[in-house]
Amino acid sequence: MKIMVGQGSCGIAAGASKVMTVLQNNLSDKGFDISITGCIGMCWLEPIVDVTEDNGKLHRFVKVGENEAKCIADAVISGNFESTLSLEITDEDNSFLTQQTRIALRNCGIINPESIDEYISCGGYSALKKVIFSMSQDDVIEEVKVSGLAGRGGAGFPTWFKWNAAKQSQGDEKYLICNADEGDPGAFMDRAVIESDPHSLIEGMLIGAYTIGAKEAVVYVRAEYPLAIVRLKKAIEQAKALGFVGKNIMGSTFSCDFRIKAGAGAFVCGEETALIESLEGSRGMPRLKPPFPAQEGYWHKPSNINNVETFANVAWIIENGGKAFSAMGTEDSKGTKVFALTGKVKRGGLVEIPMGKTLREVIFDIGGGIKNDKQFKAVQMGGPSGGCIPAELLDTVIDYKKLSATGAIMGSGGMVVMDESTCMVGMAKFFLDFTAKESCGKCVHCRIGTKRMQEILTRIVEGNGRSGDIELLEELCGAIKDGALCGLGQTAPNPVLTTIKYFRNEYEAHINDKKCPAKECTSLLTYEIDSSKCVGCTLCAKKCPVSAISGTLKSPHVIDADKCIKCGQCMSICKTKAISKN
Amino acid sequence: MEQIKITINGKECICNKDEYILKVAKDNGIDIPNLCDHESVAAFGACGLCAVEIIDDGNGRKLPKLMRACATKAQYGYVVSIDSERVMRSRKVALELLMSDHEGDCLGPCKLNCPAGTDVQKYLKQISQGDYHGATQTIKNVIPIPASIGRICPHPCESNCRRRFVDQPLSIAFLKSYAADKDLEKDTFVPVCKPDSGKKVAIVGGGPAGLTSAYFLRRHGHSVTVFDSMKKMGGMLRYGIPAYRLPKSVLDREIDEIRSIGVELKNGVSLGKDFTLQQLKDEYDAVILAVGAWKSMQMRVAGEDLQGVVGGIDFLRYISSQESEIPDLNGKKVAVCGGGNTAMDACRTAVRCGADEVYVIYRRTRSEMPAEDIEISEAMEEGVTFMFLTNPAEIIGKDGNVSQINLQVMELGEPDASGRRSPVPVEGKFEYIDVDMVIMAIGQTLNNTGLDGIELTRKGTISADSATFRTSDQNIFAVGDATNRGAGIAIEAIGEARKCADVVDSYLNGSIKPYNAPFVSKRNDEDIDFTKHEKKQRIEMPARPAEERRRDFDEVNLGFDDEEKVKSEAKRCLECGCHDYDDCKLIKYANYVNLKDIRFVGKKNISPVERKLVTIERNPNKCILCGLCVRVCDEVAHKGILGFVGRGFGTVIKPEFSAPDVIADCKNCNKCFNACPTGALKLIEY
Repeated sequence: MKIMVGQGSCGIAAGASKVMTVLQNNLSDKGFDISITGCIGMCWLEPIVDVTEDNGKLHRFVKVGENEAKCIADAVISGNFESTLSLEITDEDNSFLTQQTRIALRNCGIINPESIDEYISCGGYSALKKVIFSMSQDDVIEEVKVSGLAGRGGAGFPTWFKWNAAKQSQGDEKYLICNADEGDPGAFMDRAVIESDPHSLIEGMLIGAYTIGAKEAVVYVRAEYPLAIVRLKKAIEQAKALGFVGKNIMGSTFSCDFRIKAGAGAFVCGEETALIESLEGSRGMPRLKPPFPAQEGYWHKPSNINNVETFANVAWIIENGGKAFSAMGTEDSKGTKVFALTGKVKRGGLVEIPMGKTLREVIFDIGGGIKNDKQFKAVQMGGPSGGCIPAELLDTVIDYKKLSATGAIMGSGGMVVMDESTCMVGMAKFFLDFTAKESCGKCVHCRIGTKRMQEILTRIVEGNGRSGDIELLEELCGAIKDGALCGLGQTAPNPVLTTIKYFRNEYEAHINDKKCPAKECTSLLTYEIDSSKCVGCTLCAKKCPVSAISGTLKSPHVIDADKCIKCGQCMSICKTKAISKN
Repeated sequence: MEQIKITINGKECICNKDEYILKVAKDNGIDIPNLCDHESVAAFGACGLCAVEIIDDGNGRKLPKLMRACATKAQYGYVVSIDSERVMRSRKVALELLMSDHEGDCLGPCKLNCPAGTDVQKYLKQISQGDYHGATQTIKNVIPIPASIGRICPHPCESNCRRRFVDQPLSIAFLKSYAADKDLEKDTFVPVCKPDSGKKVAIVGGGPAGLTSAYFLRRHGHSVTVFDSMKKMGGMLRYGIPAYRLPKSVLDREIDEIRSIGVELKNGVSLGKDFTLQQLKDEYDAVILAVGAWKSMQMRVAGEDLQGVVGGIDFLRYISSQESEIPDLNGKKVAVCGGGNTAMDACRTAVRCGADEVYVIYRRTRSEMPAEDIEISEAMEEGVTFMFLTNPAEIIGKDGNVSQINLQVMELGEPDASGRRSPVPVEGKFEYIDVDMVIMAIGQTLNNTGLDGIELTRKGTISADSATFRTSDQNIFAVGDATNRGAGIAIEAIGEARKCADVVDSYLNGSIKPYNAPFVSKRNDEDIDFTKHEKKQRIEMPARPAEERRRDFDEVNLGFDDEEKVKSEAKRCLECGCHDYDDCKLIKYANYVNLKDIRFVGKKNISPVERKLVTIERNPNKCILCGLCVRVCDEVAHKGILGFVGRGFGTVIKPEFSAPDVIADCKNCNKCFNACPTGALKLIEY
C-alpha cells in the first residue's frame, strides 16, 4: 500500500504537515511507508491524501484534517475503506482532473518530488539520454519546431527560434537561463512545477543547454518560493550524484553545471533583460533590445531564457515527438497550457488543457462555475499585463491570437474569475497599484504615467472622478504603450483599456452618478436600515465598531451616515435582512 | 564601413550602416529631442523623447512600434518621421508627465511677475559682485531706460519677491537704478546693433513704449524714427511723473543713449496735424502706435465745467512743461479726486506749488488705494489731507469759478470683481469743503486724433492683438497705454513694446512670429521652507525730510551711498530661479512641444536637496531619472558612485548605499554635473 500526502506550499498551508504527522504516528511503526507528493492542483480540496492499494486501486481523500487522518490510518490498517468512503473525492470534483490533459504537470501530485528514482521510474531523463546520444543540436531544434512549442511565460515566442538563434551565436561561453520569477498576482503554475516535479525542469533545461551549447544553466527563482528552492536544490544534487548534471553527463562529452539564483522580488525581473541585469548583480532594469539575449545576454554572452513551463514540456516532446504535441491545439497555438484558475470560481487550482478549449469550458466545466451561484462577470487573463474578458466573450477559444484580439493576453496563465460583485474599475486600480509600484523607474511613461493612471483610478473609485477622466486614461494608456521600453510598461495599460472597452458604463457610473454598480467601492456606498423589516434586536448597534447605529430595543434602528465607515458588519449580522447597501 | 542612405523628415542622409538614427540625425543637423542620450555613454533609452516612427523599413512596411532613435540602428532605405502625430503625442505626454513630477522654479517670481521679464536674479548677482556694467547690460536686454524705471516702478518684482516670507523683499527697483546710474557715470553700456536691414519703422509716441520699441528695433538692425507731439521725448515719464520722483536729467541722459545708437527722434510733430498715418504707411515698412493715454477721464458730476476744474494729467503736464517759473498756488485750497499714482503725483505737486490745503478725495479707504503705499505715506508726511470714504457729488461754483465741493459720504460694502470692497453711499450724509481747484485724477484714456480707420475697443482704446500687436490695419502695430485695457504702469508698456519689437522684426524679415509666452515650471510658495534662511534687514532708501522736500521739485530720494550695503542687499537674493534655465533641455523640449498646462497633475516625488558630494549639490526634485550622472560616473569616470534606489514612482538617484566610503571615492571630476540635462545638479560655490 502506498500512502502519499500532497505537500506543495498550498497543501502545507492547508495543514498537510499535521496530517502527515498523524499518519506517521499511526502507521510508521506498522510498516507502512508514507511519502510526500507535490501539488495535484486542486486547491479547494487541500489537504489531500492518496492511498493506493496494492491492487492499484486509488483512494483520494480530500480536505483531510487531523481527525480524518486518524480514520484514514485506521482504514489503511484494516484494509477496509468503506468507513472512509465519505472522505474520498466526489466524482464531480474529480472531473476537474479528468477533463485535463497534463504534459507540463504530468508528474505533479503523482510522484515524490524529492525522489529522483520516482522521476526516473516515470521515464525521467530518458529524453536527455536520447538527445545526448542520438540527436544533433539541429535535430532537437527541428523536433521542437515541429512541436510548435511557444514561450509559456507570456510572450508566446516560438521556442525553437530562440534556441536556434542562441545556438547560432558565436562564442564558447553560452548560458541557459530559466525564468522562474513568477510575479503575476494569482499565478502559481511555475511554483507548482518546481515544488512537484523539479526534475522535469532540470531535464528540459539540460536538453536546452545541449542544444544551444551552454555549459552553465541558471534558474532565476523568486526568493518568495522557499520550498521550491529547497526541492530544486535537492533535485540538482541528486541529478549531479547520478551524473545527469555536471561534467561529462552520462559519460558523454556534454557538460553542464546548474546554479540557482534567488531573485529579490522585483516584478520587472520577470522581463528577460532585467532578469539578466539582476543575475549580474545589478539593479533589475530592462536593457535596450536589440541586442537580444541570444546575441548578448548574461555577461554579454549568448544566452537563452525560457520559462519553467516551457522547459517542463521539453522532455515530453522529445519522448513523444513534436508531432504528438502539435496534434493538440489550434492552428496558431500548439500543445497544452497550464492555468492558475482563481477568484470567484467554485473549483480553483491548476488546470492544464490543450489549446483550443474555450474559456467557458475551463471556467464552467472544469472550474464548476461561479461560487455561490452568482453571475459570471469577467475573467482577468495574464495578470497585471493582461486584460479582462467579459461574459459575452466566454466562448473565446484559448489561443494566443484569439485572446490577444479581445485585448487580453494568454500571459503566463493567471486566470482570475470575477462575479457580479466585483467592481471593474476597482479591479483595474488593483492592477495599476501593482504595476505603478513595480515599475523599475527607468522609462518616463511607465514610472510617472502608471502613477498618474493609478491616481486617476483612485479618485474615480473614491467618488472624485471628473468628466474627461476616461479620456485622460485612454490617452495615458496609448502613450505608455508607445513609450515604455519593456513589457511591463507596454502592457500595464491593458487592465484599464479592457475594462474601459467592456465596462465603460461602470466608469461612467462612478464618475457621473457617484455610484459603484457592483457595490464594492466603499466610498460610494451607503448602508440603510429598512424600518419595516428591522425588529430592533440591537445586534447591529452592538456590532458597529464606530457606534454609528442608534435605536432602542424592539424599535427600528437608524444608521448615521456621517459616522458610518461602511465596513458592512451590520449587514452581515442582521437576521431580518433589514440592512441594505446602495 | 558600408554607407547607406536613409531619409529623416524628408531629408536624405548618408550614413554608416548600423549607426544610431539619433546620431545620424544630429550629424545632419536634425535635432531629435532627447534627454538621456550623451555621446560619452552607451544608449540607455529611458526618456522616450527620441521616439520616432519608421514609416518605411526599406521594404515598404511601416514598423508597428515607435522606435527610440538613440537605440535604433539605421538600415538601408529607412524613412523616419521625427514629428509625426503619433510621435508628437507620445513626446508631449512624456514631457507633461516629467513636468508633473518636477518641483522647481525655472524663473524666480521676480522675473515672472515683471511685465518686462527682467532677469532680476542675474543682475542682482552681478550687482552683488560689483559688476554694474554687466547688470545694466542684463537689464537693457529688456528695459532701455533702467535708471528712470528703477526710480518710479511700482515693482511687481518686489511685491512677489519670496524673501518677503523670510523678512522683507529685496530693494530690487532701487538696486536697478543704482546700477544704471553707476553705468551712466562712465563706460556706459552701448548695445551692438545688427547690421542695417534696410527696413524703416515709424513709431508714433516717444514715451516708454515708443522708446522701447525704437531701441529694440534699432538693435535688430532697422532704421527707426520716433514722432512725438511734445517738445521733448519721454512721454508720461517726463510730463506725467513729477521731477521729484524722476529728475529730468536722468531721463535726458537715458534718451541720449537711445539716440546714440541711431534712433531718430522727432519732437513737436503731431499725428493728424503734422502728418497722417497714411503718409507713414507709404514711407515706412511698419508703423507702431505708442501714443499713450493723455486724456483725463471725466467724473460726470455737476460743475465739472467750472473754471478751476482740471484733469490730473493735464495739471501734471502743465506743471512739468514749465521751463522756469512754477505756478504759485499759494493761498489756494486744492482737492484731488482719485486714489491712484496720478492722484498722488498731483497732490504732492500741488503741495510743492505752495497750496495752503491739499485734499485727496477717495471713495474707499487707504488699504484699497491703488497708489503705491510709499507715495501715500510720503504725501501724508508732506501735509496732504486724505478724505477717505468720500466721493464728489457736485462741484459748486461762484461766478464761474470753483468754490466748494460737495462730498457724498461712503461706506464699504461687499467685495467687487477686483476683490476690493466696493464703496456704497451712506444715504443722506454729505460733507462740504471749500476749494479753489479740483483735480480729477480718476483715470485717463486715449486721445484718438489722427487714428481714423483704426478699430477701437469699447473702452475707446486701440484694439491690438495680444500676440501680434497688430491693429485692424495689418501694417500698423500698437502698444502701451493707448491699447486694449488702457493705461497701466510704465513697465507694462515697456514689456509690451519689447515683445512688439520682436514681432515687428519677424514681420520685417518676412514671416510674422506672434509672441508666445514660454511654459515654465513653478513652485508654490506654500511648499517652500523659508525657516532655513537667516533674517537680514532690507536696505532703506534715504530720503530728504518732508519739510525740506515739499518746497521744491528736487529728487526726494537721496540714493544709496554705501556700495558695500548695496552689494550685501543684492546678496539677500534667495536665487529662486534655476541656475540651468538657459541650458535646461527639459524646459527647452517642453516648449518645443508647446506645453501650456499639465493635464496629469498628481503627487510629486519629493526628497531633500543634499550635498553629500563635495562639489555638487543634488536636487532630486528636479531630477528626471535619465541616469546620465549614474552612467557617466560608471562608464566615463569609472567610479560608480551613483545609483538608482527604490522602485516605481519613488525611484531616486543617490550615492550607492549612501555609504561614506563610496562617496569618499568621488574625485570631484564634475562629469555628472556636465552631463545632467536639467538643473538637478549644481556646482557648489565656495
